[in-house]
Amino acid sequence: MALDAAPAQRRGLAFDGVAIAAAVATLICAAPALAVIGFALAPGDGGANFGGELLRDGALGTFALMLVGGGGAILFGAAAAWLVSLCGFPGRSAFEWLLVLPLAAPSYVLAYSYASFTWAGGWSPIEVRGFWGAAFVYAVGLYPYVYLAARAAFASQSACALEAARTLGVSPGKLFRRVALPMARPGIAAGGALALMEIAADYGAAQHFGLTTLSTAIFRAWYAHQSLHGALQIAAVLLLAALAFLMIERRARGRASFAGGSTRWRPLPRYQLSSLAGAAATAFCVALVTLGALLPLGWLARLALLHANLGDVVQPFVNTIMLATLGALVTLVLASAIAVAARRATGAGKASLFAAAMGYAAPGAVIAMGALALFAVAREAGWIGGLGTGLALAALFWCYAARFAAAGVGPIDAGLARLSKGLDASARMLGAGPWRRLARIDLPIAAPSIAAAALILFVEIVKELPATLILRPFDFDTLAVRAHSYASDERLLEAAAPSLLIFLAGLLPILVLTRGITRARAGLRRAEAAPAPQAGAR
Amino acid sequence: MSSVTLTGVARSYKGARALDAISLTAPEGKVLALLGPSGSGKSTILRLIAGLEAVDAGEILIGDELVSTHARTLPAEQRRIGMVFQDYSLFPHLTAAANVGFGLDKLDRAEREEKALYWLDRVGLKHRAHAFPHELSGGEQQRVALARALAPAPRAVLLDEPFSGLDPVQRAELRDATIATLAEAKTTTLFVTHDAEDALQVADRLAILKTGRVLQEGTPREAYEHPASIDAAAALGPVNVFDGHAENGAVTTPFGAVRAPALPAGPARAGVRAEALRLNPGTSARVLDVRPHGAHDLVRIEAKGVVWRALVPARAQLGDQVDVEIQPAGAFAFSD
Repeated sequence: MALDAAPAQRRGLAFDGVAIAAAVATLICAAPALAVIGFALAPGDGGANFGGELLRDGALGTFALMLVGGGGAILFGAAAAWLVSLCGFPGRSAFEWLLVLPLAAPSYVLAYSYASFTWAGGWSPIEVRGFWGAAFVYAVGLYPYVYLAARAAFASQSACALEAARTLGVSPGKLFRRVALPMARPGIAAGGALALMEIAADYGAAQHFGLTTLSTAIFRAWYAHQSLHGALQIAAVLLLAALAFLMIERRARGRASFAGGSTRWRPLPRYQLSSLAGAAATAFCVALVTLGALLPLGWLARLALLHANLGDVVQPFVNTIMLATLGALVTLVLASAIAVAARRATGAGKASLFAAAMGYAAPGAVIAMGALALFAVAREAGWIGGLGTGLALAALFWCYAARFAAAGVGPIDAGLARLSKGLDASARMLGAGPWRRLARIDLPIAAPSIAAAALILFVEIVKELPATLILRPFDFDTLAVRAHSYASDERLLEAAAPSLLIFLAGLLPILVLTRGITRARAGLRRAEAAPAPQAGAR
Repeated sequence: MSSVTLTGVARSYKGARALDAISLTAPEGKVLALLGPSGSGKSTILRLIAGLEAVDAGEILIGDELVSTHARTLPAEQRRIGMVFQDYSLFPHLTAAANVGFGLDKLDRAEREEKALYWLDRVGLKHRAHAFPHELSGGEQQRVALARALAPAPRAVLLDEPFSGLDPVQRAELRDATIATLAEAKTTTLFVTHDAEDALQVADRLAILKTGRVLQEGTPREAYEHPASIDAAAALGPVNVFDGHAENGAVTTPFGAVRAPALPAGPARAGVRAEALRLNPGTSARVLDVRPHGAHDLVRIEAKGVVWRALVPARAQLGDQVDVEIQPAGAFAFSD
């Protein structure tokens, strides 16, 4: 009787609301990217002729920057995460959070800072410019993506496995290569994917350094050649390239995936480095923090103090905080639904993850144009009026969600990956339906990851330039837009103040973020918070 | 509580048969052990009963409610079945008491806490109510998992290798404590293990599984004394095997005759449990070596080129030569 009443499916997976919410979230996130491909495939307006050369140069430029800048970021990030997680050296605990600081600065802010530092009235004898300048800025600016994900992966590793390796007489270097690194590979791959997608999506820095990448080529096709269709075609190519890249990454991660290890926690074993190696480790971390954050930050602060005009930045500042807070919340809800459904179910969930990741790989400008094109269709159909302030803001939130859902899904998914596979089954056996499992099991256990995701999303939106540039309501400047327009006019001194504020706005949540990561090792936190009498002799 | 009945249940993974027409009954209020090596499908049976997976064919009844058929699967959360997972799967962010109370969400807060403490007390862990799983020893985690499974008064409880990963002393203690708890609760229990001793100690009834089939189902004594096949016999302990001929209702082995009155004359295989061999002073077999084996000595003996193993009381004084006596309770024969 209960059998007939219960909406049960053939494979025993209950048909639940969480899955439906995830499907809707996926659709929202995927729509702009799908629109781009759809419109790119539509019959051309003659502008397609531009595509060829721009496309080739842009693809070469993006690829080279990914290789050099992205490779550097992955190397720096993974090495830093290893040092901080599993080694002991002077200043280690301070570097644990200092190393995250560059996350506050978008590439274009670093580019503006280094350009003025090394050029107009700057102090440096070496000019940061052109291809190598951009690669340098990406490497020192984006390594925290890899660092954070890799550190979370190192932190979730079972101390038992590492200790087991140590009892086998493994040296620190070998432990890293043979045990810790393979176990952390999913995290490093996830973080590396984020960094590489950032490079592909970057418009501001590449444009400032005068490089032809796929992103800048899109703008050139659109503005200079007045060919929206050509731009969409280049964008579609970028999207497909990102897609192929994603498949490779997913496969690598799939092979490395394993159950969440033991639930019996112990503090991670730490290697105390010798004084020489320790000094080298300290120097390495100091260099990363200085180049990625302190130096450009200090320089911008100096310029801003010398040349700031406060009235110039107040309104953009308020606008930015408002957009980032609301945008992050909207995106977070969608990202959580996608991540939870993906962890729980099968093909559909994986498709959701992929759709979200596709949006993240796409440059903000492209997502924005995809949204614009959809709005245009809706207006022609008479469903909406003109793109007024309210509608423009809605469009912006939509774009942020489509663009950044993956940035939120990644950490949440990684947090859920720590769950033992039995926990969901356990909760089901105790009679918990899908919503209760979400509220009582998935979300609390993933809470540190969700907090991390929220902060990452906030920072991302503060930094987002091209989509905001295109979709903002009339006369609605954000800090990013203001900095960009000054820098475009080579007024780097005036660009310093809004750039500095973007930097600082990004810093605030990051100071909190580090705590969230440390808390990710639930055992450690509980053990510290509540030193209960140990009855079990373990 | 209710009985659990499987009829003709089959399950395949990617074309590979994991279970082949399994029929089993776990009687109401009794403990049924599923004994088999890894790959025998015993854990799959639990997951099917739990509703975590669907059957390809056959049906599963809990009491008289049909919960799994080819067409429909009642979701796990609606089955009112308790389960103790092999890794215990305690919720790491909840205290022991909150873990136990998780399945009691229909009750109000005070009742839930009271009942959770009651069940923690039943497994002897009331004093650890506010500890988090990582602060508990392996044995304590297992007991919390058991209390958690029993607290919502399930219709049946499934235990998946509940004593693996524990040291032998802890294991024996925990096994006794678990049986006591289950007996008090009078819960229908299905219990998966690869350890014959666990199965013999704990079970009211026993199902011996191999490669997705039931080799034998019965009481532990029936299974031990009257195995359905050599494989079924070997599942409960070491068995010496001899291929010979049945004549006049017996198979003659180098160590003596195995009586099998019902067996027709012709090729036959005899099996004798290692512990069913008695060694007396004599000359009919040679002692190859003697090794300590728990409370017993494991003796390898040889006659006419055939080597058998015998489990005899420890430190029995044996010479180089012995006579061998086959005790009928541990000896059996089957025609080929």
